[in-house]
Amino acid sequence: MNVREKKVRFIAPDTLIGKRIQKMDAPEKASGKTRYIHDIDLPGQLYGKILRSTRVHALIKSIDTSAAKALPGVHAVITAADIVNQRPIGVAKDHLPLKTDKVRSLRDEVAAVAAESEQIAMEALQLIKVEYEDLPILTDPAEAIKPGAVLVHPEPHRPDGEEHLKPVGPVAFTGKSDNIAMRFDYCHGDVVKAEADSDVVVEDTFKLHYVTHCCLGVSGMIAEFDASGHLLMYSNTQVPFLHKREFAEYLNMDPGQIRIIQPAIGGGFGSKLDIYPFEVICVFLARAAKRPVKLVFTREEEFISSPTRQPVLLTLRSGCKKDGSLTFRQVHTLHDNGAYTSWGATTPFVMMQTFSSLYRVPNCDYHTIAVYTNNPYAGSFRGYGNLQATFAVEAHMDKMAEAIGMNPLDFRLKNAQDEGEISGQGMDFKSCRFKECLTIAAERSDFRRKHADNIKNRKAPGPIKRGIGIASMLHVGGGAKIYPSDGCGTILKLDDFAQVTLITGASEIGQGSETVLSQLVCEELGLPMSALTVVNNDTAITPWDVGVHASRTTFIAGNSALGAARLAKVKILSAAAKKFECPAGDLDLRGGCVIKAESGEVLTDLPRLMRNMHFQDKAELVMTTFYYEPPSSHQDKDYKGNVSAAYAWGTQVVEIELDTETGIVKMTKVTAAHDVGRVLNRLGIEGQVEGGVVMGQGYALTESLIVEDGVTRNPNFRDYKLVTAPEIPEMDIAFIESMDGEGPQGAKGVGEAPAICVAAATANAIYNATGVRICGLPFTPERVYRALHGKGEKLFLERPGNSA
Amino acid sequence: MTEIEHYVAPTSLEQAAEYLRSGEVTILAGGTDLMPQSQSGRLKIKRTLMNIRRVPELNGIAIDNGAIRIGALATMTEIMQSELVKKHLPILIEACDHFASDQIRNAATLGGNICNASPAGDTLVPLLVLDAEVELASKPNGSLSRRRVPLADFFTGPGKTKLGAAELLAGVRIPLPGPARYARFFKFGTRPALDISTVSIGIAGTLKNGALSRVRVAFGAVAPVPMRAPRTEQALEGKRLDPKTIDAIAGVARDEVNPIDDVRASAWYRKELIHNITKRMLGHVAQT
Amino acid sequence: MSLKHDIEFTLNGVKRRATVPVDMSALNMLREVIGLTGTKYGCGEGECGACTILVDGLSLNACLMFAVDCQGRELVTIEGLAADAKADALRAAFVEHGAVQCGYCTPGMVMQASHLLATHPHADAETIKRGIEGNLCRCTGYKKIVDAIAAAGSADPQGAAP
Repeated sequence: MNVREKKVRFIAPDTLIGKRIQKMDAPEKASGKTRYIHDIDLPGQLYGKILRSTRVHALIKSIDTSAAKALPGVHAVITAADIVNQRPIGVAKDHLPLKTDKVRSLRDEVAAVAAESEQIAMEALQLIKVEYEDLPILTDPAEAIKPGAVLVHPEPHRPDGEEHLKPVGPVAFTGKSDNIAMRFDYCHGDVVKAEADSDVVVEDTFKLHYVTHCCLGVSGMIAEFDASGHLLMYSNTQVPFLHKREFAEYLNMDPGQIRIIQPAIGGGFGSKLDIYPFEVICVFLARAAKRPVKLVFTREEEFISSPTRQPVLLTLRSGCKKDGSLTFRQVHTLHDNGAYTSWGATTPFVMMQTFSSLYRVPNCDYHTIAVYTNNPYAGSFRGYGNLQATFAVEAHMDKMAEAIGMNPLDFRLKNAQDEGEISGQGMDFKSCRFKECLTIAAERSDFRRKHADNIKNRKAPGPIKRGIGIASMLHVGGGAKIYPSDGCGTILKLDDFAQVTLITGASEIGQGSETVLSQLVCEELGLPMSALTVVNNDTAITPWDVGVHASRTTFIAGNSALGAARLAKVKILSAAAKKFECPAGDLDLRGGCVIKAESGEVLTDLPRLMRNMHFQDKAELVMTTFYYEPPSSHQDKDYKGNVSAAYAWGTQVVEIELDTETGIVKMTKVTAAHDVGRVLNRLGIEGQVEGGVVMGQGYALTESLIVEDGVTRNPNFRDYKLVTAPEIPEMDIAFIESMDGEGPQGAKGVGEAPAICVAAATANAIYNATGVRICGLPFTPERVYRALHGKGEKLFLERPGNSA
Repeated sequence: MTEIEHYVAPTSLEQAAEYLRSGEVTILAGGTDLMPQSQSGRLKIKRTLMNIRRVPELNGIAIDNGAIRIGALATMTEIMQSELVKKHLPILIEACDHFASDQIRNAATLGGNICNASPAGDTLVPLLVLDAEVELASKPNGSLSRRRVPLADFFTGPGKTKLGAAELLAGVRIPLPGPARYARFFKFGTRPALDISTVSIGIAGTLKNGALSRVRVAFGAVAPVPMRAPRTEQALEGKRLDPKTIDAIAGVARDEVNPIDDVRASAWYRKELIHNITKRMLGHVAQT
Repeated sequence: MSLKHDIEFTLNGVKRRATVPVDMSALNMLREVIGLTGTKYGCGEGECGACTILVDGLSLNACLMFAVDCQGRELVTIEGLAADAKADALRAAFVEHGAVQCGYCTPGMVMQASHLLATHPHADAETIKRGIEGNLCRCTGYKKIVDAIAAAGSADPQGAAP
C-alpha cells in the first residue's frame, strides 16, 4: 500500500523588495539574441529613405522625381503633392511631414523613396532634383523676435487667396504674424514687493546648450498594411497608445485599425515621445508602394534630424534676507523653438516647477517666450527643462550664501522643505526627505571641510585646483497629470501551473520597468521571479497607458500591477479559505504556496490550488484587471495644482580637479543622496542613478551639439563627445526611503532625477576651485580656460516688454 | 556607391608595385580610414582596390643597419607590444597608447596613419622628432626600386603626401636613439584616447647638464601638416633649462604656430595650449 | 552595381563561403549577407564599438573592416561566444551585476570584454576602463559593466587565453 506521507513544511518570511534582482531580459541581450527594430525584416519589405533639405530656409520652387522613379528597384517616390490632405503633426500642429512650399531647417523632409535595397534607395535620392529659392536665415531667437524679421511660419496663402492648410482639432495651426511659437507666464506672490524686502539681490544670465540623446540604437520604423487595410507599425515609441490615436488622425483611419508593436528599444531618454515626420513618411511609403517599408536612420541622420534638448537663454534674479531665507525668484527665458514645435517648447511646465518650488521661495515670477528660428527643434529629454532650471537656481543658492557669509550647505538647509509642505505652485510634498538628502550627501563627501580648504587653496601655487560643489533637485516622482488621464492598465492571469502573465500598458525602454513590475507582483503573490512573464509591447493586447515619461512608470504602472495582483490574491485566498475551511484573513501566499500566515505552515502549493480551482464544478480561473489613476490634479490655467502624486528629491555633491593651464576639468567623484521613497530593485535603481549621473556629466563637461547658421557641425561621435568609460567619476550613492504613502511599496520615480543637478553642482565646484563663475555650458577646457583668463563669453538676454 | 572593377590581393611587394603601375589603384591596409571615408563619400575608391595585407615585406619590426625598421603594416597594437620599440622608442608607445581605441589599434597600420596625413595624426609627431624616414617602393622601369624620404619632407598638405601615384609606402626607418636621448610626446585631450588631437607636442634631444642638444620639436593639429618647429628648436638648442629660459622658449613656440579655428578649438586656445604645455614639458625635462 | 568577390573564412568555428560586394563592410556582410544580427550598427565609423567582433583573436570594429578582407581569417561574433564556457561566465557576470539596460551596446561590450580578459586576465578597474574606452554606453554609466568584467576576470582561476 502506498501511503504518501504528507510533508508539513514551514516557510520563513522573505522579501524581494530591496534586493538585487537581475533584469529579466538581460541574458538574452547579453547573448546578442534580442531583436531590435534594426534586426527585424518582414517578407517583401522595401527600404525607405528620406530626401532632406539642403537649404536652411528656402522656398521650394520645384521637385522633379522622374529620374528617381525610373531607377530599377524603386517602388515609390513621394512628395507632399502625392499626399491628399496631409495633416500637420506635433505639439502645435505646425509641422507637415512632407514639406509643401517651404523648407525651414536643414532636417526638413522634402521627398521619400521606397526601394528594393538601401543602396538603391540612396541612389534614388541623388536623382531627385529640387529647386530652391533661398530666404533669409534666422539662427538667433533674439533676432527672430524683432519686428520685421522674416517669418518662419507666415500665414499661408494660395494664389487664389484660399488657405491651403485647414485647422485640425482644438490646437492652433500654422500661420502667424510673428515668430512667437509659445508663451508661458506664471506667478505666485509679489516679486516686486519681495525684492524691496530683500537684503541681497543677485542676477545672472545663463546659457544652456544643445545636446542630443545619442541612443545607441538609431531611430527606425517598419510599417505594413495588411490585406484589409489595417496598419501595423513596428515602432520604438514611448507613447504607443497616444500614437495610435494620432496616427489615425493623420492617416484618416479608424484608430481601431492601427496596431503598434514595440520591439526592444536601443535607448529612449525621451527621444520617442512625439510623432516625427519620418514615422508618418514611412507609413505614406508603405501605402504608396503597397509593401512593408522599413526606414532606419544612419547615425549622421540621427544627429541631424532628431529632436535635441531644449536650448535656453535665461536671466534669473533672486533675492534673500540676511538671515538666509529666500524671498523671490524672477525668471525670463528665451527658448529657441527651432523650425517646428515639439516638446521642447513645453519644458517651461517643468522649469517653472523648479523655479517656484525647489527650496521654499515665497514669491516667484516666470516668463518664457519660445521663438521660431531655422535651427533644429527640441524635444523631450530626460529631465525635460529641469537641468536648465536647476543650473540657474543652484548657482544663485551659492551666490546668495556667499553674499551673506553663510555656508552654502546651511543656506540650503535653511530653505529646504519638509514633509507635508505645499509649495507656492500647489505641489504637495507628502513624502519629502530633502534635508536628509542634503546632510547625507554633504557628510559622505566631507563637503564642509573640503569646501573651505579649496577656497584657501585658490591662491596656492600649482596649476591643479580642487573644487567641490553641491546642488539639489526636485522632480515629479508620481507621474504628471498633463493628459486627461495619467493612468495605466494591467491585465493579470495565473495558469494551471501558477505561472503569471502580467499584461501591462507600460513600455520597457531599457530602464527595467518589466523587472520592477514583476518584482512587485511576485512579492504580492509570494512567487519567484521565474514564475512571471511580462507582455508589454503590443497595443492589440495591452491595456492603455499614457506612456513612459515624467519618471512615472514604477509609480503608476507599479500601482496598477499591484492592484491587479491584490485582486488575484483575494480570489486565491478566498478559494483556499473555502478549501481549508478557515478565514481568508488567516492565510497568506509565500514561497509559491498557500500558508497559514502566523505559523508559516504550508497548506498547499499554488499550482495545485490553481488546478483545484480550475477543475472544480464551478470552474474559476484567476484573471484580474486594474486601472490605476494617480490622485494628482490637473493644473489650473495658472499652472497651479498638485500635478504629481509624489515628488522626487535628491542632492548631489560633485568633486573636480581643474587644471588651470589647460582648462581641463576632471570629475573625480559624485556623492548622491536620493529620496526614492523605497528601493525596489536595488540593482536596477543603482543602474539608473549611475547612468543618470554620467549623462549629467556629459551635459556638464563634454557634450555639445554645435549648431552654426542652422547647420549641425558635429553630427558624429568623433566630435560629439559622449562620456567614455575611463572618464567616469567615483560614485557614492545613498538611497533615502521616505516610504511614500501612495507609491507601490512606498516607491517613487527616479528615472530622470540623477541627471538633473550634476551640471549645477559642477558649476559650483568650479567656482569653489577658482572663484570664477561660468554661466554657460558645457565646461569644455576651452570655455573654462577662457573664463579663467577673463575671456569668457558675455551673456545677455534682452527682455521684451511685459508679456503678462 | 563605388565603381570598383578589380579587387586584388598581392602576395609580394613586387606584385603590389606592379599593380600600382597601372595607376587607378586604391590601397587597402587596415581599412580604418578607408572604409569610413568611402562610405561617407569623402573618398571614391578607384577602379582597382588592392589589399596589401598579405605582402610579407610590409611586416615586421627589426633592427637594420643602426635603425629600427617598422613595416608599413605594423598595427598600433603590434608596435605597443614590440620589445624593440619598448626599449628604444618609448615615445612611440606613448602615441599608440592614446590612439583611438583598442579595436582600432588592433587594425590601424603605421603606414596607413602616415599616408592618411592628418594634421593631427597621432604617430606622426613622435616620428618627426625621431627623425623618421619613409621607405617608398615602386617599379618605375620594370624592376623594384626603393627610395627614402625624411618624414619631415613627406607631408605637403592636409591628407597629402609626396607618395607617388605608383608608389607604395613599405616601411619607416628610425635611427636608433643614443643612450642619453630624451623623447617625450604629449597629446592634449580630456580622454585618454578616442580623441582627435586638439594639439599634440613632441620634444626630443640629447640631455646633458640640464640642456638639450640636437633638439627636435614637432607640433600636431596646429598647421595643415604635422610640423617641425625650427624656431622653437633653435631657442631650445643647448640652453640650460631654468624657469626664465623655459618661459621664453614657450613664448617662441606660441608665436611659431598659426592654427585655425575649427569645431574642436579656436586658434587662440591652441596657441595658449602650445605655450602652456611646452612650458610644462620643458619643466619635466629640467627635472630629469 | 558593385563588383562582387567570393571569400572563404571561418565564422564561429565553422568554415563557410560568401559572395560579397568588394566595398561592403564586414558588419554589413554579417547582418545582411549572412543574417546574424547580434553585431550592431551604432555609427559605422568605428567610434562606438557596437560592432565589435573578434578576428584572428583580436577585437576589431566590423564596420571598419572590408568584408573581402575576411578571406582566410577566423571570425567570432556574439553568436559564436554563446558556445564558449569562459564567455558563459562573462555573460553571467553582465547579468548578475546589472551591466545590461537597453542592451544595444552589450554584444559589442561582451566581445571587447572577452578579448580584454583574454589578454589581461584579472584586469583591475583602471585597465578595464581603458580596455572598453572604444565602447560607448548611454544607459549604464559604465560602472556596472566594469564591475561585471572585473568579477568575471577575478573569478577565472587560470586566466589563460581560451
